Amino acid sequence: MKKLLLLLLIPNFIYAELVLEITQGSDNPYSLAVIDFNGPQKISKKINSIIKSDMKRTGEFVILDNSQLISVPLNQEEIKYKDFKLLGIDFIVLGSLISESKFNLSVSYDIYDVRKEKKIRTSKVFGIPNKIRQLSHYISDGIYEEITGLRGVASTKLLYVTEERAPDRSLFQLVIADADGANEQILLKSTEPIISPSWSPDSKKVAYVSFETGMAKVFIQDLASGKREIALENSTQISSPSWSPNGKFLSLTLFQDGNAEIYILNLKNKNLTRLTNHYSIDTESSWSPNGSRIMFTSGRAGSPQLYEIDLRKSNSKPRRITFEGNYNAKASYLANGDGAIFVHRSNNRFQIALKYFDENFVRPLTESRLDESPSISPNGNVIIYATTEDELGLLAGVTLSGARFKLPAKKGEVREPSWSGFLR
Amino acid sequence: MPKTPHIFTSNFFGIVIFTIVLSSCSSMNVTEETLYNRDVQTVQASVADDASIDYETKAIFTNATVLFEFDSFNLSSKSIQTLKGAVAAMKSNSAIKITISGHADERGTREYNLALGQRRAESVKDYFALNGVNKSRVSVKSYGEERPLAYGTDEISYAKNRRAEIN
Repeated sequence: MKKLLLLLLIPNFIYAELVLEITQGSDNPYSLAVIDFNGPQKISKKINSIIKSDMKRTGEFVILDNSQLISVPLNQEEIKYKDFKLLGIDFIVLGSLISESKFNLSVSYDIYDVRKEKKIRTSKVFGIPNKIRQLSHYISDGIYEEITGLRGVASTKLLYVTEERAPDRSLFQLVIADADGANEQILLKSTEPIISPSWSPDSKKVAYVSFETGMAKVFIQDLASGKREIALENSTQISSPSWSPNGKFLSLTLFQDGNAEIYILNLKNKNLTRLTNHYSIDTESSWSPNGSRIMFTSGRAGSPQLYEIDLRKSNSKPRRITFEGNYNAKASYLANGDGAIFVHRSNNRFQIALKYFDENFVRPLTESRLDESPSISPNGNVIIYATTEDELGLLAGVTLSGARFKLPAKKGEVREPSWSGFLR
Repeated sequence: MPKTPHIFTSNFFGIVIFTIVLSSCSSMNVTEETLYNRDVQTVQASVADDASIDYETKAIFTNATVLFEFDSFNLSSKSIQTLKGAVAAMKSNSAIKITISGHADERGTREYNLALGQRRAESVKDYFALNGVNKSRVSVKSYGEERPLAYGTDEISYAKNRRAEIN
């Protein structure tokens, strides 16, 4: 019943190129009443709608609006907690536009705990004109933080690649959007493939692989200025960029010996340090959250498996991490560093899976045919990945609480998602 | 920036290309001549040709495609058969330079497939080198799974996409 309710509540006004669908909520969500904000109806409706979508996407909330309530308070004095308890509502959000002009759009909101019958938070968000979406995402994150104790990710961004196949030549685009798929901005258009985009730790730059010169090369692009550069001038193919947590290094895969090997590039002085040395494929490097370890995919055991190198020890041998099945690749560390998510093949299906380093088994998180490119939200709570449906690529998300959502493109394919850091 | 010949340039020359059709679930390949490939033809070449290269000769004798098994970059005996002709053409005309581009099917991760495509192309390059073709005449690159010939999700399509193209 809850699932059905969630499906029915999908807001019908989404401006995004990606169309958010919440397919499944978690088992034991908070019940939250979001009262229509006081202020001009058009803006207030929009804000409420975005907040509801944000909260539902976490999978941890069921949202009720004015029409589903027994009584609708306009202010604190009018709250009849009994009416909310009757509906099993845990929290109430009341808000209003405090200023609205060409130059300013600001909002105040309060959160009430129904059980305790008291206000638990009061907040203001000072907005920027024409940024109602961002303003709303900030409110969502405030609500999420207050109730769950975790930082919210509604105000973060996604980076991904789209492809529109054309009879003569496909169009590839590198795109940034809000975490709900709205507000798309194109970073790069190319008729050659683009893969492996990733955010710099400060979320001000992105690195990606573009084939525009005729072979794979790693580019770094500054988001604000649009300026971009080739990360390393070199005649060979270069791919699979991954930023060190301090943003000073980029690990890369170079093909200069005819074989994929991982190197670490110092972004300041462009010094290159070789990390792997094996006749099999080594690629898909990824840094641990504290920057002390690098995990990568290697074919040295005869099939792709994950290995880890400790950067603090010189000449440390790669330690094999996965032994389950014959395909484990493209790992990223969990935020606390005690496990990794990656692509795992099981029964001829490529799934997103999780392995904790102190466990000797793999936990599958998804179950379609061809899932890849998992990326973790900065609060560690959501994994976004690329999947296919009806032979078309789209993005999908799964939260640690078990909720699921999809972000299909209106047109063409979307893939290679990468989640920004906190932007708020 | 000079553009290298696109990997799908085969039909740009309007000439027969060689493909090897993989018979299902065995490593036994059957070589066929394919006159026209819809998937190949749809992509425009963006070529800045090197005038010193005799493309007519090159296209006839060195254009070839060899196929690979999943997650493998070993040359099959049928692939070697195909490559023999290209080696002969390379030897008879020292002006010919070739680019080998390696490809993978869509299964597995994009970066690993890029590396796999590179290994496939390198396997072909190694074969040329072993047979007396100077390495400087052979350049190698990979497109991984980014430039499929066939968009299907069946083994027949996958088999077509696990390839190295010689242009």
